[in-house]
Amino acid sequence: MEKGSKRQIVYFGLIVFVFIVYSIKLASIQLGEVPYKNMAINNALNKITLYPSRSNIFDRKGKLMVYSTQMYDLSSFPYEIKKLDTGLLCSILEIDLPTVRHLLLDARIRAKKRQKNNAFNNSALFYANLSNKQFTLLRENIYRLPGFYIESRTDRQFATISAPHALGYLGEADESLIALDDYNQPGDLVGITGIERYYEKQIRGIKGVKTVWQDRTYTERGVVKDTQFNYPSTAGPDVISSLDFELQEYGRLLLNGKKGSIVAIEPSTGEVLAFINNPDYDPNTMVGRERAKTFKALLRDDQKPLYNRAVKGVYPPGSTFKTVMALIAMQEGVLSPETTHGCGGGYRLGSIRVGCHAHGGPLDLRGSIRISCNSYYCQVFRDIIDNPKYGDVKLGYAALEKHLRSFGLGSQLNIDLLGESRGNIPSVAQLNRRHGDRWKSSTVISLSIGQGEILLTPLQICNVAAILANRGWYYAPHLVKKIDGFKDTAWDRKYKIKKFTTINPIYFASVIDGMSDVTKPGGTANGTGINDIEICAKTGTAQNPHGKDHSIYMAFAPKDNPKIAIAVLVENGGFGATWAAPIANLMIEKYLKPGVETSKPAMEERIKTSVIK
Amino acid sequence: MKYSPLNSNTQEKIDGLSIFLFIVLVIIGFLSISSATSDVNQEFYSLSPIAVKQLIWIGGSVVIIFTILYSNVVVIDYFTYGFYAVAIGLNVAVLFLGREVSGAKSWFGFGGIGIQPSEFAKVATAMALAKYLGTYGIRFQGAKNIAICLLIFLLPMAIILVQNDTGSALVFLSFFLVLYREGLPGFILISAAWLMFLAICRIISEATGISSYYGYGLLLGIGSIMVFFARKDRGVSTLITFIAVVSAAFYTIVGTVYSSILQQYQRDRIELVLGLKSDDRGLGFNLKQSKIAIGAGELWGRGYLKGTQTKMGFVPEQHTDFIFDTIGEEWGFVGATTFLLIFCGLLMRIVILAERQSTTFGRVLGYSLACVLFFHLSINIGMTIGLVPTIGIPLPFISFGGSSLWAFTLFLFTFLRVDQVRK
Repeated sequence: MEKGSKRQIVYFGLIVFVFIVYSIKLASIQLGEVPYKNMAINNALNKITLYPSRSNIFDRKGKLMVYSTQMYDLSSFPYEIKKLDTGLLCSILEIDLPTVRHLLLDARIRAKKRQKNNAFNNSALFYANLSNKQFTLLRENIYRLPGFYIESRTDRQFATISAPHALGYLGEADESLIALDDYNQPGDLVGITGIERYYEKQIRGIKGVKTVWQDRTYTERGVVKDTQFNYPSTAGPDVISSLDFELQEYGRLLLNGKKGSIVAIEPSTGEVLAFINNPDYDPNTMVGRERAKTFKALLRDDQKPLYNRAVKGVYPPGSTFKTVMALIAMQEGVLSPETTHGCGGGYRLGSIRVGCHAHGGPLDLRGSIRISCNSYYCQVFRDIIDNPKYGDVKLGYAALEKHLRSFGLGSQLNIDLLGESRGNIPSVAQLNRRHGDRWKSSTVISLSIGQGEILLTPLQICNVAAILANRGWYYAPHLVKKIDGFKDTAWDRKYKIKKFTTINPIYFASVIDGMSDVTKPGGTANGTGINDIEICAKTGTAQNPHGKDHSIYMAFAPKDNPKIAIAVLVENGGFGATWAAPIANLMIEKYLKPGVETSKPAMEERIKTSVIK
Repeated sequence: MKYSPLNSNTQEKIDGLSIFLFIVLVIIGFLSISSATSDVNQEFYSLSPIAVKQLIWIGGSVVIIFTILYSNVVVIDYFTYGFYAVAIGLNVAVLFLGREVSGAKSWFGFGGIGIQPSEFAKVATAMALAKYLGTYGIRFQGAKNIAICLLIFLLPMAIILVQNDTGSALVFLSFFLVLYREGLPGFILISAAWLMFLAICRIISEATGISSYYGYGLLLGIGSIMVFFARKDRGVSTLITFIAVVSAAFYTIVGTVYSSILQQYQRDRIELVLGLKSDDRGLGFNLKQSKIAIGAGELWGRGYLKGTQTKMGFVPEQHTDFIFDTIGEEWGFVGATTFLLIFCGLLMRIVILAERQSTTFGRVLGYSLACVLFFHLSINIGMTIGLVPTIGIPLPFISFGGSSLWAFTLFLFTFLRVDQVRK
């Protein structure tokens, strides 16, 4: 072989060398650890969430209360945006450059969170809830904004603004919610309070997916033809609330200018008919772009419009509690309907004196309810806890406490709302701490008339009325009657099982007789009653160390086969008869005689127009 | 001249293996182009406009092939210098008449199609070089001969550099490899490799901030040790000293050029390839997307027409310079290495054919073909997998484009025709 032809080996060597080196490199890329395939898929597919409509929520008669509206968001691939026509974006969205930067930063944070969540792609919400004008302009110009696309989702509109605390509002899912439930993505709207929150999983429906091909400029290039990547959203099922639209609106009108709550329950089912707080807020301001701004303003408002006092506010029940005391005393065998006690303008025991208003002499049980005699119940209370049967005041009190707890007091009633207060029924231990170890019936005598350590939520007061109406039992109150296609044994266990008090039904008659006298001449709420409706009621005045007494009233009607139980609390309203009673009675009339003008227009007018400072 | 092309009795069969491999590559190329430019959502297999165009180019190649096969070799020989002159002329003309495509003025535009004369310059140069070295009495020796040889391929290279088509210009460096077979001393190539190594070391030190004194220290240290052991042989120790001094000087020059003369974007590009910089969104985007495409193929590939990286445009130039990504993505490691094997097989076959030539003309032509193809293959694929800088040259027979396909077809079949009539 001559010298030249020997050199051909070098050429073969070079070719083999390149083949080997390149094959090794190819192996390291194609067979290595880096998930290039996923990266390729993430590049080419955009999994667009199809947001379902949230459930429509109807009132008990089928009237629409909340519905979904379509809204459009501008979403983006915040990490892919390289050449952004900020001028165009600014002019369409009518925002300035720093805002664009800020929004982009936010979108990046959302995208990061989404990636952490193993989401399919790294797109994220950029600008929520476009106005019609913005939407139109963007749809025309979206091709000039590579890396952006329009996404539609649903928001809320309220057909009635009367039930914000019951229905609740939506908000953007925060980190804790996302961590809790990977269904949620940053930017998603979820129920934050009310029914919207409690039934979030049912109401939100099921998201759908539309997967599209996208090219390097993140421009859509058609839908992926694979059912695995494309399925429609499923709207949330219809939710039938137990609330009564008319009653709700009417109650809001009556409570106008006053601080307080109205809660009404259908005794036979535990369904909440009315659930009103004042101050409240207009839920239609808590939607769309204004949501966050409104929310901040509402949080700062010292009227506390977001405060759900019906389940979170606790008050001494005052004289309304006498009904419960009488029942327990009868159950304990220390009181009979015929038992009479004298009054004399107050109850005196050593240095203690519980005042009473002037009324005619010795009263039986029925009369004591009608008149709301404090002395009578001081005596009844002492008879219960000083019962020789127990031999010890603390054992006697423990028996009382047990009965009270059977009314659902001192614990959550488990209404379908979050954050319900337990109220307070003092335990022996609590009284020991408060009064020292050696307290006597006289020490805690104020409990007899619903003062002292006893605290109830308006809902609990209403539930007592429902128990009285049912003569001894109740269903846990709830705001939702039915959700289409929703079957849940836990829910049924909560709301479909009767809860019995420890009171024998036979003892209710005399108390209810007394209650039926309350709105009649000689009763504490005389003059507030409604013709043709036999209202059984009890007024109350809760002492308020911070100001004027709270006006309380609980009632049910009609006396036989009751349809509605109600509790009204007006803060700083003074006597129960002044504000709470007329409001409750008008509500009862409204509910039992729907569509009929009130028989008490003057009373209605006074209530509607009065403002309590 | 040793052979007589007029003597048709000496004609043998044309090399079937080369033609078979050529056909396989062209089909792979067509299928890949068709896939890379297909619609992602197509219901039925349909050809994209670019695939149809490529089909037309292939049709043109067939015409070229038959023209060559039925033409007399003496014609080829006769027109070699003329062809070379025309190629040079066209490459100069394109500077004035051409249209600019991505910064390079290397295209003649005829309506919808473009012709890139630099592609044809390669085959013309190879033929001219072959003819020159094949001229009776001329060998690769003596300053004048060497100078003419160099001029033959450095002239078109320079013109193409002026066209600002760096990639195509660099291809002409592959003729140095051809000259090695014709007697270019090996140490020149080794020196070039050594200098390249030094340059890379210096660039790494510049880019990473490692002091360049380590380099000087090593050169001095190793040089001194070698001189110490070779101290008895004055010639060797002088040579080593010379090498060390030249190396140190070169090392210094590279440092200066790199930090003072090169532009930032050029430095970025070099650093990116050397793996000194990772920039997934800017310059590195192309490389990263290319790697994603190939990596997504995994072992067996994502399937024909299923590669999203390429057809969605994440890979730049998906049907031209980065066509290998489609092969890698859709046919996986198995397909990509098989492809490499086929291509390398063709290269080796050409070397074998070149070596069996009885004439210098035939041998130089064959080696030129092998070296130019080898250069294209290693630079193009090396670029897609991140082994060499992003230099825009096509993958022969595979990449979309008439100029490249026609020029390489012309090149290959001219050689095969020459081989066919060898003695």
